[in-house]
Amino acid sequence: MSRLGHLLGYRLAGRPLLRLQRRRDERRLDSLRSGPDRPLEPPLRSIARMKEMMSGHYLEGRHASGVRPVAWVTSGASTEILLTLGFFVIYPENHAALCGARRRAQHLCEVAEDAGYSRDICSYARTDLGALLSGETPVGRLPRPDLLLCCTNICQTVLYWYRVLADHFGCPLVLVDTPFQYGPQPQPHEVAYVRRQLEEIVPVAERVAGRPFSEQEFTAIVARAKEASETWLEILERARHRPSPLTAFDAFTHLGPIVDLRGEQATTDYYRGLLAEIDRRIAAGIGAVREERYRVLWDNLPIWYRIGPLSQWLAARGVNVVASTYAHAWGELAPLMDPLHPFESMARVYLHPILNRSAGQKLEAMRGMVDDFSADGVILHSDRSCKPYSLGQIDQRDGLVNQTGVPALLLEADHNDPRSFSEEQAASRLEAFVEMLGG
Amino acid sequence: MTNSLRCPTRAEVVARVQAAGRRVAAVLPYHYPRALLRAHGFHPVEVWGPPGVPRDEGGRHFQAYTCDIVVRATSFLLRGGLDGVDAILVPHTCDALQGMGSVLGDFVRPTPPVLTLYLPRSRRPVDHEFLVAELRRLGEALAAISGRVPAPADWEAAFAAEDAADRALADLYARREGLAVTDREFYTVVRSREFLPAEDFVALAGSLAAGDPPGGVPVMLSGIVAEPLDLFDHLSAMGARVVADDLASGRRRVYPLQDGGDPHTRLATRLLGGPPDPTRGDPIAARARHLREQMGAAGARGLVIYDPKFCEPELFDVPLLRRHLSAAGLPVLHVEVELTGSLTQQTLTRLEAFVETLR
Repeated sequence: MSRLGHLLGYRLAGRPLLRLQRRRDERRLDSLRSGPDRPLEPPLRSIARMKEMMSGHYLEGRHASGVRPVAWVTSGASTEILLTLGFFVIYPENHAALCGARRRAQHLCEVAEDAGYSRDICSYARTDLGALLSGETPVGRLPRPDLLLCCTNICQTVLYWYRVLADHFGCPLVLVDTPFQYGPQPQPHEVAYVRRQLEEIVPVAERVAGRPFSEQEFTAIVARAKEASETWLEILERARHRPSPLTAFDAFTHLGPIVDLRGEQATTDYYRGLLAEIDRRIAAGIGAVREERYRVLWDNLPIWYRIGPLSQWLAARGVNVVASTYAHAWGELAPLMDPLHPFESMARVYLHPILNRSAGQKLEAMRGMVDDFSADGVILHSDRSCKPYSLGQIDQRDGLVNQTGVPALLLEADHNDPRSFSEEQAASRLEAFVEMLGG
Repeated sequence: MTNSLRCPTRAEVVARVQAAGRRVAAVLPYHYPRALLRAHGFHPVEVWGPPGVPRDEGGRHFQAYTCDIVVRATSFLLRGGLDGVDAILVPHTCDALQGMGSVLGDFVRPTPPVLTLYLPRSRRPVDHEFLVAELRRLGEALAAISGRVPAPADWEAAFAAEDAADRALADLYARREGLAVTDREFYTVVRSREFLPAEDFVALAGSLAAGDPPGGVPVMLSGIVAEPLDLFDHLSAMGARVVADDLASGRRRVYPLQDGGDPHTRLATRLLGGPPDPTRGDPIAARARHLREQMGAAGARGLVIYDPKFCEPELFDVPLLRRHLSAAGLPVLHVEVELTGSLTQQTLTRLEAFVETLR
């Protein structure tokens, strides 16, 4: 039945319908025109394909159980190994962000809180646990995992969260523990530690998948993941152009495939298409913000439930948030990937995301981005739910102001729980910040 | 009762240790290799806040939603509370302490060097191998400060002293029902291990008088740290008695002892051998089983999980611990407190109501 469901619901009916929907979306996007009353250019046309890809992914998820082995993984985890073994991969964080963007997160958080989960824990975790407990999700249904893969390179929270999932599902939990990088370069024993853990994923995943691991296929997938990540980085770097052809909010929206579908050929193709569209914008002199007066760097996760209003509000004041430390995290490590030495290089890659590096190194990275993107200011989203990203921001803000001379704002909010966001307070702080940009 | 129980303060110990020519390392919670520090000539003095220190100075570096221990410890440091120590060691216990180690090392840059120790999140052979190498790295950092690489005799002496103290701590728990001490007195001694030299701790633990402990509704205490110590007076006044604990500042640090072999290997084996612990990635079911067994052995009728605000490792486990333990007929109360030096009326009322239900 599950194979039939997969064939009918996903392959024969679902995918063609999504293709049709994409064409309809593209026609609608083509009909949109910029105008003086619109501070933002119409969205990039590629968004229709991105929606098709992500909807297709979640649609396949509905029918994946029993057809493909299913793994739930953290966003910083090494999925290339799982893809080699044919796993269907779900990222609970991405699912939670999707719930946030569709304004479903608060309700799901409340479901988790009713079950005893504190409001002080990560709102991604609460959103997903709420979805798990209630069975409610905007994607229809999430497939039950056969394997959980947790990598601590984004936070320790994911381990606490995945322990809860392991208790709930009773399936194996594989851990890749990545020592936090207080210094600029990983120590040899840290690289060896991560490498061995990556290698140890293989026998567990083989057992679950019921098929042997192919080094050759793995190398090919790492190569595709590298290419997709490099293309993603190229896309983000196009924002150095004045006016910038995209905003960081666009980047947040187009992030899904590089997180969820990294290593698949379709993802690389998609980002090549997006890059070409952006280059056409540059050639035509089109900026994402109609009158780009100020360029700003964003730090930390997006405020998913306010992406649209916030980008409109800022664009109306001539502010383009041109880059973010968050979206860059999936591109900046591309040069470290080496398909010829996949385990060794992936160990370095997975040790090195910005969230696994010290507060001082993060400040260093932000200073570099202020220069690279000619930013006039920085918004640091002080994210109540994400302690590892947020702790250190007070000193980072001071460092940015003192060392680069640009204004920097600490904006209190939460990436997924709207109850920790005060519209009025945020507006008045942002107003003052924009005035400083003008000063 | 041992009303004569006299325990020196941390400041007194620091002064005494330094006068004897030894170095002092301030250590943040909570797993770390005591014998390694000792072999390198350092005496560890732990910093758990401390309670009552205002958050103000720490609040200039950390947001309001940051763990109280981290914020108050930073305040304590900035107020000069750690002046004179030779090193600050921040074990990587959680994201909050990660942030503290990072901010201290990169921005605050106190006079004593800030050292870190990454603790692996599982107990597999690969974790053990990593921890051995990580302890070697920490040893090299200590040697760079002290200018002293421990000789075999230093290691031997360090293990002899710290093993004796660890044995005394384990023995203290084993003798709990045969000690004529209040909970406050018992935990005053347990927690003196945080700063007393090993020899002094052994002497203090051995000085407790044998006899019947006070009566009361038996409860088990889990969580991070039972601060303020007035908590025990309040529980006693409510008619409760703490018969077992799973505190990070308590029984979670009763490690199995190993004899002989390479010192770093021995320390890694010890550190990874403690009871189930949320900061180590142990399965929640294993932790629940451990708690159930401890409660059964001690006759505890209920579990109080007592945490500082914003403690994610603890918070994630609470609903499932409650479910697993309730299924075994063991009720659970979760209390979150700020380390202000006193307990709120609301907390006391919740504790009192919980104790009432256990009678």
